[in-house]
Amino acid sequence: MSGGIFGVIARRIIVAFPIVVLASILVFVVLRLIPADPVAMSVPPNATRDEVEAMRRALGLHLPIHEQYWIWLSKILTGTLGNSITFAQPVHRLIGQSLPATIELVVLAAFFATIIGLAGGLLMHRLQGTAGEQAADLGSTLIMSVPEFLWAIFFILLFGVALQWFPFSGRLDPGISVPRETGFLLIDCLIAARPGVFLNALEHMLLPALALAFGTAPLLMRVLRSSLMEVAQEDYVTMARLRGLSERQILVRHAFKNAFLPTLTLMGVQFSFLFGGTLLVEVIYGYPGIGNMMVEAVRNADLPIIQGVALVYAVAVLVINLGVDVLVLLLNPKLRVAR
Amino acid sequence: MTAVRHQAAQATAAQPAAPQRTQGPWRAMLRNLRRSPRVMVGGGILAILVVCALLAPHLAPHDPNHQDLLAQLLPPAWSAEGKAEHPLGTDNLGRDTLSRLIYGARVALVVAITASLGAMVLGTTLALLAGYFGGWVDWLVSRAVELWLSFPPVVLSLILIVGFGIGLGNVILAIILVDWTRFCRVIRSEVLIVRRQDYVDAARLAGFSHFRTLWREVLPAVAPLVLTLLSLEMGIAVIVEAILSFVGMSVESTVPAWGVMIADGRRDMFQAVWGMILPIGAIIVTVLGFNLLGDGLRRALDPKLRQRVIQ
Repeated sequence: MSGGIFGVIARRIIVAFPIVVLASILVFVVLRLIPADPVAMSVPPNATRDEVEAMRRALGLHLPIHEQYWIWLSKILTGTLGNSITFAQPVHRLIGQSLPATIELVVLAAFFATIIGLAGGLLMHRLQGTAGEQAADLGSTLIMSVPEFLWAIFFILLFGVALQWFPFSGRLDPGISVPRETGFLLIDCLIAARPGVFLNALEHMLLPALALAFGTAPLLMRVLRSSLMEVAQEDYVTMARLRGLSERQILVRHAFKNAFLPTLTLMGVQFSFLFGGTLLVEVIYGYPGIGNMMVEAVRNADLPIIQGVALVYAVAVLVINLGVDVLVLLLNPKLRVAR
Repeated sequence: MTAVRHQAAQATAAQPAAPQRTQGPWRAMLRNLRRSPRVMVGGGILAILVVCALLAPHLAPHDPNHQDLLAQLLPPAWSAEGKAEHPLGTDNLGRDTLSRLIYGARVALVVAITASLGAMVLGTTLALLAGYFGGWVDWLVSRAVELWLSFPPVVLSLILIVGFGIGLGNVILAIILVDWTRFCRVIRSEVLIVRRQDYVDAARLAGFSHFRTLWREVLPAVAPLVLTLLSLEMGIAVIVEAILSFVGMSVESTVPAWGVMIADGRRDMFQAVWGMILPIGAIIVTVLGFNLLGDGLRRALDPKLRQRVIQ
């Protein structure tokens, strides 16, 4: 146990490193298959053959693919990601501007997803054996059939267009701005001591975050329910019942704690899917995060941005998984002893 | 007997059901399937879709790409401004919504069936090899799965489609190359369990080759799980195709697809809300059909699997 949690984290980071490198190779090679010519899209339509060739050389696209990759990798190691073709700006700066917005959205969405997932799972557990069980079952199948981008559109139609309760475009109402300190808008509002703007920003994040949460929560619900069902067979639950504890006490003191762990493990996978879900949800809400940037870059065949953002996604997934693994380890004494 | 088992399966999924599976497992499963309302409803939805896709030219009232510029953004026929010749209204170019929905079922179903079968074959084959042989094969496959899972699936499919270029075949290929891991992960761990069963050893002792053991003994044991995953994967494939066509990275612009209809409808959502609601409904009903079928299969084939399939 020497080193404990930190030893585990260190080991995981060492294992993650080759995965990131392989992921970068995968992305790089796949993108070099591109049938469209990224140079042709970045020069004016009346450019001469020489100008196109000059551009190609300036971007390094005339080199063999492995040399191109080495150049990119050496840039990554120095902390830059090359220059965007369309914006003519360093990719790492563009990502730095949009990433906080996405992280903010993902954190809020993960928070909602956890609440909805746990509440739903407990509710379905409660309904077990009643007339409502079948209905809840079918309901969860129906909710599970709706992907987050359709929730996003549905919420716009319902809460944005029809009821007009919440805004559904951008991060703030037009005309409002806050000095940029951290890039995390909610934190910046607090730094600037502007509670009104804080609420406005929160309102703008509500619908996209809920859409992401609704895409994620149903599976959490189901797993929590089935692990509660499994835990109910355990001796310690029978024991507790014999000791005269009420069903509610059994749930709170014994069942939930043990049933929560499989749910938490699943959250790692689910929250990395949630990160991927921001891609479409950000586009739909005109939310200026990396997902929106990625789709824009895909439309413009801006390879440096696509590569850079893809790498950010890969790192984000690894970080989320690591975080969840550490949490599981902290919460599950059995695993701690095993290692 | 079957009825008892069915009820027991619903009441306590965690209890082992293996001892009861001695006589004619496939026939019992089939009987279970027919009694499952999920399988029946899901199958019914999908049957309707298949009919729509196959008979699209006969069912659709108009050419899905015909532009009637005098009848743009019409609401469905039941509202006051609607016209009977466009039962579900038209889009911003005056194209008939019903016809586009019916033709859109073609893309959705072709992708659902071919992409998920492809992902199934690739994922299951690798899972069988990895789980059965272990050693470096298993190491290699497991690392590949790990690498693949380091991307959110949507991001990976988008990158692949940028690399391959748009078009139906490339979309299918991209989905196969992303989603094989969904099969591989789950089935590999199942194969690890099956491999240790006595009948697998017995087959080897009886002189079966590795290939024959895999094909005749291991594959049938994991088949119900494969089938369930296949059904769920079909729903996922429909969603991924819709996402790609929503961002304009799926089929060519002349092919009507539900995701494209949503993207088109989005521009006019303040004037004509039906243009978005109808294709969204089509996607949800289709995915629901696959999920109900998958859910029903899971319950009918083996209640014990429930837990593993979900994860």
